[in-house]
Amino acid sequence: MTLPIFAQMAVSGAFMGLVYALIAYGFQLTYATSKSINFGQGELVMVSAFFSLTLLNLGVPYWAMIPCGLVFGAAMGLVIERTAVRLALEQKSEGWILLSIIGGLFLFSTAENIWGRDDHPFPTPMSTDPIHVLGVDVTRNEIAVAVGVFAIMGLIELFKRRTLLGKAFEAVSADRDAAELMGISATRTVMLSYGLSGAVAAVAGILVSPITTVGPTMASALILKAFSVAVVAGLDSGFGVVVIGMMLGILESLSSFQLGSGWREAPGLVLLILALALRPTGVFGKTAIRKV
Amino acid sequence: MLAVEGINAGYGTSEVLSGVSLIVKSGTVVALIGANGAGKTTTMRAISGSLRPSKGKVILDGREIQGLIASRIAHLGLAHSPEGRKVFGPLSVEDNLLLGAYTHLPRFFGFLAKAQPDLDRVYTLFPRLKERARQLAGTLSGGEQQMLAIGRALMARPKVILLDEPSMGLAPVIVQEVFHTIRRLKAEGITLLLVEQFAKSALEVADYAYVMERGRIAVEGTPEALSRNERVLAAYLG
Ligand SMILES: Nc1ncnc2c1ncn2[C@@H]1O[C@H](COP(=O)(O)OP(=O)(O)OP(=O)(O)O)[C@@H](O)[C@H]1O
Ligand SMILES: [Mg+2]
Repeated sequence: MTLPIFAQMAVSGAFMGLVYALIAYGFQLTYATSKSINFGQGELVMVSAFFSLTLLNLGVPYWAMIPCGLVFGAAMGLVIERTAVRLALEQKSEGWILLSIIGGLFLFSTAENIWGRDDHPFPTPMSTDPIHVLGVDVTRNEIAVAVGVFAIMGLIELFKRRTLLGKAFEAVSADRDAAELMGISATRTVMLSYGLSGAVAAVAGILVSPITTVGPTMASALILKAFSVAVVAGLDSGFGVVVIGMMLGILESLSSFQLGSGWREAPGLVLLILALALRPTGVFGKTAIRKV
Repeated sequence: MLAVEGINAGYGTSEVLSGVSLIVKSGTVVALIGANGAGKTTTMRAISGSLRPSKGKVILDGREIQGLIASRIAHLGLAHSPEGRKVFGPLSVEDNLLLGAYTHLPRFFGFLAKAQPDLDRVYTLFPRLKERARQLAGTLSGGEQQMLAIGRALMARPKVILLDEPSMGLAPVIVQEVFHTIRRLKAEGITLLLVEQFAKSALEVADYAYVMERGRIAVEGTPEALSRNERVLAAYLG
């Protein structure tokens, strides 16, 4: 195999890896404030993509669809928090695991009933001609993925560092009880994190749909990869998920190219096993993920 | 200003406090002393809402606050500097202080300007914190963390401060510094409920004191009266 093709595969893989990273980042947001994650996050990605596609089909312009999709995702995140997470956390139980899985299944069947089982193409306003950079073809969709992922993660990180509400978010992550004593409502902060996490899922859905098409099962593979990335990188390093996500994307793209598409999932699993065996706190992480 | 009337509180099924009552008048320093495990921390937690009292009343500035959640009580003007300091380790010293003033600062922008007078006041009191404003709170020494914990409570401009064992784990010189600060704050007229292991030093700054034993108030009185009380003398001031 020639080097250019190799490079080409690596680059496309890296862009896909950014999507994994973004979904993993959504896990980190809620884990930080509540030590819980939404196991139905993949379905959130999927319904947000369907919702956005529906808006486009109804004639909503592309630029207006994006904020609507984000708000929808945030609202869905809040619904998951209210129905699946809050009660379990108040009772200090691990019930949120099962409840958020059930929430995901519910969204899945709802999506099948509303939109059917077929995959639908997701239109994009950009031309499909690739751009040549250093002998590698990059599609405009891939560039949009990179811009979108870094924009939303950058905005959220800015929010956390530069606003008082963001600092309060960090305070609840560091010490929930002490934060309460400062007048910071931990409950509201957890809601905020679920809202942000839902918005992040929606962005992931909108960004990845033009590449993968939209269908009820579109996110099932994505979410597994995102989960591997979160476990390998640790649940508290935004930088870590980007690095590990891109690495995983590159590895799986290369292995499916070299060894056949059946090997696509292999690197993720190997990484996951290695990570759990060698560094249960994640390569970049400080807190161990609780076994679930 | 703060009145606790016959509260019971505990953890799970075990009641720790039974019928604790105390009063902290506006502008006074009140000490709460007692042996390890007597229930001093539990009393403070029950006042600030970290723990829900199962019986009795807590009245802050004429308003019943028992049963409210801690963040709500903080908004009503109570600052609780908990046992073990509990500064936000991954955040900078200045961010910790800003969060202390969370109840009266804008949430998004302009909070720094608005907090400046309070920051300056805390920095005057603790110049060390100003030098270390950008340092992560988790990397401060124990004494510095205690200053930060006190400063953070002051940032709220609270009506009442609860201070749980500010001298815990500190070297004697630093303990002197902490008590010096408390005296300064007292001169400025703050209202303070102080829990202390160093009963003697606590009684020196206090206007009034309560002694706890096994979840109850065993003795109370002015520091002069308590230091003449044989039982208190033998147990805590010996
Ligand atoms: N989180 C908890 N769960 C169960 N029991 C607790 C908890 N915290 C304290 N206790 C119990 O409550 C009783 C009173 O504890 P508390 O911390 O109020 O004592 P204290 O007077 O503050 O003691 P110290 O001087 O050691 O700080 C103790 O018997 C303790 O074992
Ligand atoms: Mg104590």
